[in-house]
Amino acid sequence: MNATKLTPLPTPELPGGFYVAAEKIYPREVQGRFARLRQVAVVLLLGLFYGVAWLQWDGHQALLFDLPARKFHIFSLTLWPQDFLYLALLLIIAALSLFFFTALGGRLWCGYACPQTVWTELFVWIEQWTEGTRSQRMKLDRAPWSAHKLLRKGSKQILWLALAAYTGFTFVGYFTPIRALGSAMAALSLGAWPTFWIFLYSLATYGNAGFLREQVCKYMCPYARFQSAMFDNDTLIISYDEARGEPRGARPRGTVARSRGLGDCIACTMCVQVCPTGIDIRRGLQYECIACGACIDACDDVMDKMGSARGLIRYTTENAMHGRRTRILRPRMLVYATLLTAVSTALVYLLIVRTPLILDVIRDRNALYREAHGDRIENAYTLKIINLDDKPHDYRLAASGMNELELVLPTGLIAVPPGSVNTIAARLEAPRELAGGVHRITLTLAAEDAPRIAVRETTRFIGPSP
Amino acid sequence: MSPGPTPPPADRRRGWGLDIALVLWPSFLAACGASLLFFAAVDPVLLRDAGPQLFAGLERDAGYALGFAFFWAIGAVASALTVYLIRTARVDEGRTAPPGAS
Repeated sequence: MNATKLTPLPTPELPGGFYVAAEKIYPREVQGRFARLRQVAVVLLLGLFYGVAWLQWDGHQALLFDLPARKFHIFSLTLWPQDFLYLALLLIIAALSLFFFTALGGRLWCGYACPQTVWTELFVWIEQWTEGTRSQRMKLDRAPWSAHKLLRKGSKQILWLALAAYTGFTFVGYFTPIRALGSAMAALSLGAWPTFWIFLYSLATYGNAGFLREQVCKYMCPYARFQSAMFDNDTLIISYDEARGEPRGARPRGTVARSRGLGDCIACTMCVQVCPTGIDIRRGLQYECIACGACIDACDDVMDKMGSARGLIRYTTENAMHGRRTRILRPRMLVYATLLTAVSTALVYLLIVRTPLILDVIRDRNALYREAHGDRIENAYTLKIINLDDKPHDYRLAASGMNELELVLPTGLIAVPPGSVNTIAARLEAPRELAGGVHRITLTLAAEDAPRIAVRETTRFIGPSP
Repeated sequence: MSPGPTPPPADRRRGWGLDIALVLWPSFLAACGASLLFFAAVDPVLLRDAGPQLFAGLERDAGYALGFAFFWAIGAVASALTVYLIRTARVDEGRTAPPGAS
């Protein structure tokens, strides 16, 4: 950094060195552009989380990761364990998106989308509603226990617990049908496992959003430690304009800062007070910064009051801060974007061509061939037909690859219920004079009611050596 | 801001709380990943039907929970060994000395 001398902070330094964790952080309430953006994100994301669980689609829950039945319902798509590839691709896309957006916009994920941030925000709203502003909360914590304190703290805890319990219930509702879960709960006949999981996730919500808060980001989150690997000098970061702000110092309103040899920072420490992770952004970029923008909002507000230009703390890039050009298109971005596009295209393509049907053909291993009546040669096969669709289907099987080949099945059409396997014995017959040697046979299986659902498998037909 | 005396600057290399967190938390994350991969390929009831007698009567959701606990325990053992090896290693600058070395 440059050589501007920093005056010591008039704010109390966080004591205890390594044991910052023990120090409770009282984030000051903040208003402004980024606070509004986060409110929108909270309402949108939590609205989706609490709402989508109740959405029905085609007679089943629209989004249900049915672990007891081992199938995932995603609107009209049903995925089985065999479809693990799609899930793997989806996870790769999520990881690549995180890389892409981190390189472009910094820790957007942390500031607006991470469940830790979103639920903490909601819990802090409750805290502000029940216990008041930052100074009121600090006063309340210092005060001896009284009816007033009990009422404030008690109502906060009750609201937190209720919200945590409902969150746990909703979460489990994505893995066990939520309507059945709700009625079982109302009838007090909930099974042991759902009860356990609801309790566990409620506890996790309560602990993470109520108590651990920024400590999750500072001590537990791996992403916070490695996100800097995606950063370069063109990444958007939240930064304090040291050249403009220093030397910092208090001054009466309306003072021309430079006339007193001061920079624009009035050392009001608002940026420190609003910070949910309790850092001082003026010390430069730190891994604890979750890029929530609260300090920008707070500082802009102060700058407005002082009659100075906004942006003493702002979203900028290292290059822009030093008067260089910021490039968006750079090799790193192109690589991430290319990979992201390629994997996304692959996923979409695979989903479009996905056939919810599997045919396994196993040749009878006991005999190469058998001689049947009428001077015919027959081969025996075991067919495994797996219907991956969420509807029952009747399938028609056809064989080709030899002249006068005849397929013998126990039934004309093969019925398979949704998500089931039907194992049947099949025979292929051909006249002896045409059967000699090894023949490549193609078996085609197609749903009667949906010709699009069809698969093709190859096998061998073996006759006596010619 | 904080009432009372400032706590002494503690060395964070000591303290059981942090050790326990360092053992349980990464192994928890690893267990999440391992369970996802394992149970995508293996149905827990297979363990009951085709596995050893140990798993007789195992329900599917109990199988998931048991599997997760198993992976978590294995990960915790690995984490605990890592923490132990770091804690007991001789480090320059005299920050941590092996027991009995000083």
